[in-house]
Amino acid sequence: MKWSKLGLFVGGVLFGTAGIKILSSKDAKKVYTHCTAAVLRAKDTVMDQATVLQENCTDIFEAAKQINEERAAKEQETEIKEETAEV
Amino acid sequence: MKAVIKHEIPGRMRVHLSKPRFSYREADTLQYYLEGFPCIEKAVVYERTADAVIRYSGDRNEIIRIIRDYSYEKTEVPESVFESSSRELNAKYYEDIITKTVWHYGKRLLMPVPARIALTCLKSLCYIWRGLKTIREKKLKVELLDAIAISASVLVKDYSTASSVMFLLGIGDTLEEWTHKKCATDLARQMSLNISRVWKVCGTDEVLTDADRIVSGDLVVIRMGNIIPFDGVVAKGEAMVNQASMTGEAIPVRKEEGGSVFAGTVVEEGEITVRVTAVGGNGRYDKIVRMIEESEKLKSGLESKAEGLADRLVPYTLAGAALTFLLSRNVTKAVSVLMVDYSCALKLAMPISVLSAIREAGENGVTVKGGKFLEAVSEADVMVFDKTGTLTKAEPTVKDVVSFNGESSDELLREAACLEEHFPHSIANAVVKAAADKGLTHEELHTKVEYVVAHGISSEINGKIALIGSYHFVFEDEGVSIPDDKQEQFDSLPDEYSHLYYAKDGRLAAVILIEDPLREDAGCVVNALRKQGISHIVMMTGDSERTAKKIATLVGVDEYHSEVLPEDKAGFVEAKKKNRHKVIMIGDGINDSPALSAADAGIAISDGAEIARQIADITIGGDELQKIVTLKALSDKLMKRIRFNYRTIVGFNSGLIVLGLLGVLSPSASALFHNASTIVLGLNSTTKLLKKDCEENRKHV
Repeated sequence: MKWSKLGLFVGGVLFGTAGIKILSSKDAKKVYTHCTAAVLRAKDTVMDQATVLQENCTDIFEAAKQINEERAAKEQETEIKEETAEV
Repeated sequence: MKAVIKHEIPGRMRVHLSKPRFSYREADTLQYYLEGFPCIEKAVVYERTADAVIRYSGDRNEIIRIIRDYSYEKTEVPESVFESSSRELNAKYYEDIITKTVWHYGKRLLMPVPARIALTCLKSLCYIWRGLKTIREKKLKVELLDAIAISASVLVKDYSTASSVMFLLGIGDTLEEWTHKKCATDLARQMSLNISRVWKVCGTDEVLTDADRIVSGDLVVIRMGNIIPFDGVVAKGEAMVNQASMTGEAIPVRKEEGGSVFAGTVVEEGEITVRVTAVGGNGRYDKIVRMIEESEKLKSGLESKAEGLADRLVPYTLAGAALTFLLSRNVTKAVSVLMVDYSCALKLAMPISVLSAIREAGENGVTVKGGKFLEAVSEADVMVFDKTGTLTKAEPTVKDVVSFNGESSDELLREAACLEEHFPHSIANAVVKAAADKGLTHEELHTKVEYVVAHGISSEINGKIALIGSYHFVFEDEGVSIPDDKQEQFDSLPDEYSHLYYAKDGRLAAVILIEDPLREDAGCVVNALRKQGISHIVMMTGDSERTAKKIATLVGVDEYHSEVLPEDKAGFVEAKKKNRHKVIMIGDGINDSPALSAADAGIAISDGAEIARQIADITIGGDELQKIVTLKALSDKLMKRIRFNYRTIVGFNSGLIVLGLLGVLSPSASALFHNASTIVLGLNSTTKLLKKDCEENRKHV
């Protein structure tokens, strides 16, 4: 019990002196910078993917619309043909 | 430039240009390049992927040739295109929304549960603080309800609900901001691109010069009804300047020698010579955007109305939650009432509806300066038309010049054109055009030109007083006489034309016969508008009773007023408004501007004077009166959609509350349904309002 409390105390002192030093050192800063850059890159990739998704969705939507238009046109054509046949 | 076709259907292709991505500038350049070709109907350039979607009519090979010929370096693009591009703005908000969405749904993969909880709690503090602030204002507002809902769900440890409520509120806020910015920039683009040529002083002459050739230190003359295109100092003259676009103050300010004037403000009366201090290009566009943003005009009435509606629901929701708790003694049930938060759905659906309606209007060539004007158009029952340039063709033509003093018609026309060319009025334009068509050029013969609104112009030519204008102005006000032997000729002038009288030295010199043909569609438009619910259609004109009566019967208006002055038009609008009518005014000239600003919605035809465009709440591009019908249909549909949204949101969510209370739905299930319905409604609100109806409408007319 006593030892563990002492351990905590020593740990705290170590963190307060050396730990903070390490966390705010130049090398650590480099690590932070790289991490941030990685996050930004990831975000950029996500945005790229979102745009690609948007583009493909519009492609599909436009093509689908055209299919329906063609169908409607064809149906109308057959109707007209039938009508003329009746005549 | 090399490119790969990524997707293709007849009439549309998506190409990828050989580049990993575009800068904003490159994307704008390509878009400008592509849209310059008549065979390309629409081009969309995605800067992130360096893709371009091209809608075209005609030959496919032609399109491929166009793309192959493209070179970023060789394409010349006016700087104003970049200045006014909203690409960066859109990219920013688009990114914002995507990031928020991806983060909201993706964070559970990246973050451990305790960290997520901590983050949610931290974020909720923000909203709780916002809610507490409204208590200080002693009002029950949606923010308070949001705060209670969020904190309640945090307290019952339902963190995912808390976080999705905050997510939706955040998206709503972003969209609202986007709506605002987008409207402002669209509007500013229209305004900044309109000023193209100015009168520059060169020695003793005035020369019409392209605005982008003006440098700092040049002297520029600005007359009544024109926008001051540059910042500067008044070097000569005095004028009343409307600085509403700058300060929001509608009353014009007097500017004298030495006073500063600002780009984007309008000369309402008088004439000034300005020494330019700052030339366009350095932030003029940004300035206009800021001006518009700051003016209250843009604050869309509809959006705030939606907020007001949401606010009104707050006490009921709170009371419902309290009652539930008292009756059931069950916190979860009470929270499930709060959880169904009307406000995020309303806040999300309303700005989206308004934004997409304004965008759709834009696609139809109508610029709307704020959602509340669409509301006004939809509710209007009285419509006032100005005749010249609105019901009649924008370009009246000179039919004949009848000489009364023995000089040749051409010589008289030359002099008249010389006077008229300084004024932005459709009749004046006609005279100038007629002279130009006959190849009649002129030196500036006259001295300072004075303009009397709605009446005419007076000046001096070769030391003699020269007057040009209406019968009232020339004969009654100025006491001009008709040469004795010509009275008979004067009386026999044909009735079907408007007459413009030109007098020199107190005697009538010429009568210019102006043909101002009715637009072919005027009658149909009036009929269509009546079918759309405008019960009273009025025509007002400065023209003589005779001409007015003829036009009025042809068009089929309910009421007409002839020989009216600008004040009368505004007075008429005010009087109608006092009788609880909602009034739309449509006009194009300087003399319409008081009435345009007095009306609930002022619509300007964009061929007209700049001041009319600036004061108007809505501007209609080009030459089509038909667009008023489209606009009316669009605003009716928008109001219908808004009412539908409101009813659906309140109805559906009230249903959720009831089901929650009965214990059929758990709070998390009702939150799920609530969110799903919000998103579906939001998406539905982005769809086009007019769709194929547009064609129906056309047939209808």
